[in-house]
Amino acid sequence: MLEIEGLSKYFGGLEAVSSVDVSVRAGEKLGLIGPNGAGKTTFFNLVSGTLKPTRGKVTFEGRDITGKSPHYIAGKGIVRTFQGINIFPDFTVLENVVLSCHLKPGVGLLETVLKTSGSRRKEKAILERSRQILELAALDRLANVAAKNLAHGHKRILGIAIALAAEPKLLLLDEPLGGMNAVEVSETMALIDRLWRNGITILLIEHNMRATMNLCQRIVVLNFGRKIAEGTPDEIKANPDVIRAYLGAGGHAA
Amino acid sequence: MIPSLAGIVTICLCVLPLLLSGPYYVHVFILTMVNIVLASSLRLINLSGQMSLAHGGMMTIGAYTSALLVMKAGLSFWVAMPISGLCTALIAYVVGYPFVRLKGIYFSIVTIFFSEVVVLTAQQWQSLTGGAAGIFGIPRPNPVSLFGILHVDFSSKVEFYYLALALMLISLIILYAVEKSRIGMVLRGVQQADSLAESVGIDTTGFKVLAFTVGSFFPGVLGAFYSHYISAVNPDAFSFLFTIYILIYMTVGGEKGFFGPVLGAAVLTILPEVSRPLKAFEPFVFAAVLIAVIFFVPEGMAGIPQMVRRVKTAHEKGAADA
Repeated sequence: MLEIEGLSKYFGGLEAVSSVDVSVRAGEKLGLIGPNGAGKTTFFNLVSGTLKPTRGKVTFEGRDITGKSPHYIAGKGIVRTFQGINIFPDFTVLENVVLSCHLKPGVGLLETVLKTSGSRRKEKAILERSRQILELAALDRLANVAAKNLAHGHKRILGIAIALAAEPKLLLLDEPLGGMNAVEVSETMALIDRLWRNGITILLIEHNMRATMNLCQRIVVLNFGRKIAEGTPDEIKANPDVIRAYLGAGGHAA
Repeated sequence: MIPSLAGIVTICLCVLPLLLSGPYYVHVFILTMVNIVLASSLRLINLSGQMSLAHGGMMTIGAYTSALLVMKAGLSFWVAMPISGLCTALIAYVVGYPFVRLKGIYFSIVTIFFSEVVVLTAQQWQSLTGGAAGIFGIPRPNPVSLFGILHVDFSSKVEFYYLALALMLISLIILYAVEKSRIGMVLRGVQQADSLAESVGIDTTGFKVLAFTVGSFFPGVLGAFYSHYISAVNPDAFSFLFTIYILIYMTVGGEKGFFGPVLGAAVLTILPEVSRPLKAFEPFVFAAVLIAVIFFVPEGMAGIPQMVRRVKTAHEKGAADA
């Protein structure tokens, strides 16, 4: 589905991401882990178009998307979430999702200005779909709350709901569990699993090791911008390079 | 409530010239309506999170375009005015792409330079624009006959008043429709979090340029109107201070709601005219009002009723608790 070959990004002399090859198969849950500063978020930025790669090639469903603009890549079906600001704070929860449904069913902009009957019908369909997404994300009771007034966990989940509204085939989740309590973590993991069952391929960055191991079928490990391992959770747990990267060179003594 | 209120105000404005004692007050109301459109269209650009300071420059472009089209190309004013708006919008579209790559204050700075470039071009291109002296004797709009009975030849200010009123109503209806459409919602989204909007497939650069283009169309049209109204235009007619005034109208009125700039432009244009001593100190008065508004009513004058209500509820709640 997504083929990444020799992807590199240099910031001056710093190799943030260096010749990484990753292949994401349709319908899988792939985890991307690595110590802080390993280049995980830079990797996401390169795939989603926020940053332009120095070298390498990104192919999605047979189409070369290297260095294309983020909105183009999102339109092709790769949607990402953010660690930081991931909501429109002044909009209500429902409006957040409605905005992201934008343009999809082909509502012409001029149509919405002139309020033609066709555009009204489409707007209604968008509203309907947005409510379904909120229901799926269990945010339907909060539909009319201003997004900035949500609890932290709900904000993170809303971030995922916004991404969903853009109809992703491949969803890139950047630390979706960050700062969540245990209940929120299990709810979010259940949500991610539901999305996967609905046919969305998942690529996940996460520091919560237990959640990643439980959720993902395959894991890629980055360290200092390079891929050091790839395999099933059990293979990764046993891989000496991974253990060294996390615990340091003297790790075997522990 | 808004449609009925807008209807009442419109009717009042239609009969107003009958009550005004003399052309001077008619002139003040024409200025007010021009400023209302300028402040409201500036707010449309602002919706996308970009603070343009090119409105004066855009108005200059519209004014010169229309004057030259009528005087050198021999077009009718009624053709030249919309063309001036479209030309201004086209220029905004072309410069918009490089401009919106700059964010925040840097965008504002480059729009100031753009305005200065317009002024310098008007000053230096003597063969076309008449240099620093500008263009004089711009003809009045061609006479029109309304419904075959009413003959309008723009020989008095009152006729210009009704033209300005029509322009204002049409402009406000267009701006309102745009804001309440999906475009308005997307622009607000871009303002709040542009990288997030981009990540869900919204062409944020395109929308910022769209706001800048549509928002610059109106000063272009109004510039055309104004040059034919006062029958002259010169490079300094719409200076940097003029642009800052538009910004003040918008901020003082309140940029959150659609009617904030309308209110701000109306109050701040009429107030100094009613009290002539104030007029002499206009920049100082405006600065003081601006500072006061930012400190005490950050949502602008349009936000005052809501603020009073909030204070009142808090007060009642306090009384109930005690």
